[in-house]
Amino acid sequence: MKKLTKDYDFIARIQEISMQNIADCYQCGRCTAGCPFAEYMDEPPNRIIRYIQLGSKEDILKAQSPWFCAACLVCETRCPRGVDIPRIMEAVRTIHLRAKEQILDIDKIDKEILQDAHPLVLMSVLYKYSF
Amino acid sequence: MKVSYYPGCDLYTKAKVLNESIKASFRAIDIELKELANWYCCGTTFTLARDNKMSLIAPLRILAKAQKENGAVLVPCSICYNTLKRANYIFENDPEALNIINEHLGESYDGNEKVVHPFEFIREHQDEFKKGVKKNLRDLKLGCYYGCYLLRPRAELQFDDPESPNIIEEFVSMMGATPVSFPMNVECCGSYLIINSPEAALEASYRILKNAREKGAEAIITSCPLCHYNLDNFQFKISAMHPEHKPIPVFYFSQIMAIAFDLPVQTWGLEYNKVLPTNLLKEHKLL
Repeated sequence: MKKLTKDYDFIARIQEISMQNIADCYQCGRCTAGCPFAEYMDEPPNRIIRYIQLGSKEDILKAQSPWFCAACLVCETRCPRGVDIPRIMEAVRTIHLRAKEQILDIDKIDKEILQDAHPLVLMSVLYKYSF
Repeated sequence: MKVSYYPGCDLYTKAKVLNESIKASFRAIDIELKELANWYCCGTTFTLARDNKMSLIAPLRILAKAQKENGAVLVPCSICYNTLKRANYIFENDPEALNIINEHLGESYDGNEKVVHPFEFIREHQDEFKKGVKKNLRDLKLGCYYGCYLLRPRAELQFDDPESPNIIEEFVSMMGATPVSFPMNVECCGSYLIINSPEAALEASYRILKNAREKGAEAIITSCPLCHYNLDNFQFKISAMHPEHKPIPVFYFSQIMAIAFDLPVQTWGLEYNKVLPTNLLKEHKLL
């Protein structure tokens, strides 16, 4: 069995950036049930929260899910415990980006879409996927 | 009546039609939209990270500028509305953050400027707007699509019920058309995922369009330039993914207002619609 080392500093950092108390979540899974992009995520939103509760830094930083969160806030609206999941996703993204990881790969963007891209979309993408 | 107006960048680029048709329609009932002088971009997507103070700078500048004019500021773009209102929520409730940004900019903003969306403004002045309606749109069935930015988060925006909103339906009824509510009306269109994960965004848009069609909508109306872009612009791609998809026109609410007010056809801005609504309007003898 994998031995879990709980990274308390990491939990604290996520809580600080997201302003959320990670222990508030009781894993009902309503966030995942309503998420329009859960099907594209390698780990569903509630499991990301669970990894943070467990302080499993490696699993959290490995997950691609935060890059599929569009911050639509459906989960935030429906969470019975008032957990703002998009803020937690943003905290994870922020940790990646502040470590100077470049997520946006311009060469991989569909040329047809890029040519006529909406300025709002471009600005959001630069903000969410690059540092 | 004069109302302060913040168009935002988009209303001079991709969403020109929203700017032109809202100005024309308001002018038709003697409401002048007075643009803030030398306005800036609001910074688009609102930051969700507590320690990111940078993205509060632009909203504070805009709100401070708006406060120097009289009254509330009207913001038609859903994204600008969301960003300004969420930032203002921080300015109202977090004196420390307000101080940091005020000091940085040399402003003395107090967090009290009111940000109003045209749907709210129209509801408040409904008698004037109802009087403006000159054309009969009764048989036109419009799917009322909200998207994310107008409704969520509930506590900060206080716009409408985020799970069961009604304000666009009210607007459509005021214009004399038939509102169609559909279950996916508050779902996300895919937003900026269109760049990095286009399949996910296109699928999200497809589900919304399909659901509106199933509930009887002949066209969709929205106020969000980002939703309009995703829903209208990529229907040819959606058709390639789902051959049974029948394109459905997507209007800005202000275009419907210009039509209902019987304004000259140039103000309707139909040339900006990727899925052409001309046949639909001809069927209803509106064109």
